[in-house]
Amino acid sequence: MSRLQKIPVVEEKKGNPLARVFDDLVRFCRSRSLFILHYCTGCGAIELPPAMTSRFDMERLGIQPMVSPRQADILLITGYVSIKTLKRVILTYEQMGSPKYVVGICSCTVNGGMYWQSYATAKKLDEYMPVDLYIAGCMPRPEAVISGLQKLMDRINSGEADSWQDYYRNYDYYLGNQQKLFGEDWQTPTDIITEAKHYELMGEGTLGQHTRLLEQHQKPLEALEMRLGHNIKEPVE
Amino acid sequence: MAPIELLIELTLMPLIAFIVGMMMVLMMRRIAARIQRRIGPPFFQPLYDIIKLHGKRTQVSHGLIHDIGIVMAMGGYIAAETLLPVPGMNGIAEKGGLITLLYLMMIPSLGLALGVGQCANPNGSIGIARALTAMLAYDIPLVIVIFGVAYAAGTTNLVEIIATQQAGGFATWGVVEMPLLAIAGLIAMHASLGKQPFEIYIAPAEIATGPMVEMSGKYLGGLFVMQCFQLYTTSVLYVSLFLGGGTTWFDFLIKSFLVLAIPVSIAYLFPRYRTEDLLRLMWKWPVMLGLIGLAFVM
Ligand code: SF4
Repeated sequence: MSRLQKIPVVEEKKGNPLARVFDDLVRFCRSRSLFILHYCTGCGAIELPPAMTSRFDMERLGIQPMVSPRQADILLITGYVSIKTLKRVILTYEQMGSPKYVVGICSCTVNGGMYWQSYATAKKLDEYMPVDLYIAGCMPRPEAVISGLQKLMDRINSGEADSWQDYYRNYDYYLGNQQKLFGEDWQTPTDIITEAKHYELMGEGTLGQHTRLLEQHQKPLEALEMRLGHNIKEPVE
Repeated sequence: MAPIELLIELTLMPLIAFIVGMMMVLMMRRIAARIQRRIGPPFFQPLYDIIKLHGKRTQVSHGLIHDIGIVMAMGGYIAAETLLPVPGMNGIAEKGGLITLLYLMMIPSLGLALGVGQCANPNGSIGIARALTAMLAYDIPLVIVIFGVAYAAGTTNLVEIIATQQAGGFATWGVVEMPLLAIAGLIAMHASLGKQPFEIYIAPAEIATGPMVEMSGKYLGGLFVMQCFQLYTTSVLYVSLFLGGGTTWFDFLIKSFLVLAIPVSIAYLFPRYRTEDLLRLMWKWPVMLGLIGLAFVM
């Protein structure tokens, strides 16, 4: 009986075999080419330069740093996020192109770490955005960071790392937690609900009481006015 | 030539350029890694990057001009490849000539300027302003060099220029006959690649990769493809002008990779100039060398 239980259940693959091969290829390439956006919030950032440069060299795994959220695949949160920072982290996360992954480095992102009693930090990162991987430690060494990223690569390759879909499926939950911190009129420039419809990722948790609250407060977005420096109003003395 | 044959050549030449270009990107990244005492990316890394970028779910387009800009950026180089003779294939090089090639090589920058303009990102606008300034800087020595070579050869036909050099052997190679022009050309080529110390428009630490800042998914992927073509075009043009082209694929590839290795290995040793410094440097040294070289040729 015990041996019978161990027999793996293989899901029967359906669809066009050529498309399946193609999907596998894209997944493999996704896992072998990861552009990271390191949002260096806390002290954990100090372990990233050695992980990237000659001592540990992340580029041999195909991981390289990028500078703008549009280009990146991984959002790397390295340490405690204060409430002010968290707003920016969420804006950054929503601008990244999916599939996107969030990696929380340091214990502070897991449960607040030594900032547990602080009134100014957000404790658990995964209440505000879906996190694919935590690397615990105060702070984790570069080896740990790299082995964590390798684990993420395996999960991407096998198709398990799809928590970016969770943000669309359970948007109400994440928005609720965000509203709790930032107030009821919290609004980001990205329209997540329309995006969820576009990707056909509407889940049961996409809409709810918090998104209704958002609709009440939502202001239409306007493009920023383009101005040259000398047009900016001087402060009145 | 039969039209079918020509069609095959016109398809094959950009395709080969793309594959060789990807290997050049790999070489560039490996050299950078070795200089920094790292191991560097695996062999297929450029391909992984390009496939991944094209396979992303989110593709943010900022409008029609944005799309067209990327197509222009790639298309300009793809058209340029058909004018660059490679061993065994001339494409339409005989009919095009050097001047058309020079024009086609400017199209990508202009396309990029259009595309980035629609993104309305200030970093992108600064980047593209710098890129066009840089083009102004390196195009003057480049034009002097190309004029010099064409004047010495008495033709703007790239096929003939290569044939003369190959017929005369090493002593008639451009680099032996016109060493000053060759040096000026190398500097201009380095600047046109946009690598350090002339990396004024990418500048990740300052303007967040400039033109690329709003690009995601297949748009960034298109720019990655463009980079492959750019490396290939510049080095093959230099090989054709000064190193006698290639009689076989073997020496052709060796020459073009070696030529590219020079600016790339210099690049990762230096920080970056400011825009005005680049302009001053470009208009002084390569132009001076080029003009003296031109005087010798005339
Ligand atoms: S886990 Fe430790 S090292 Fe990391 S951010 Fe928190 S206090 Fe700093």
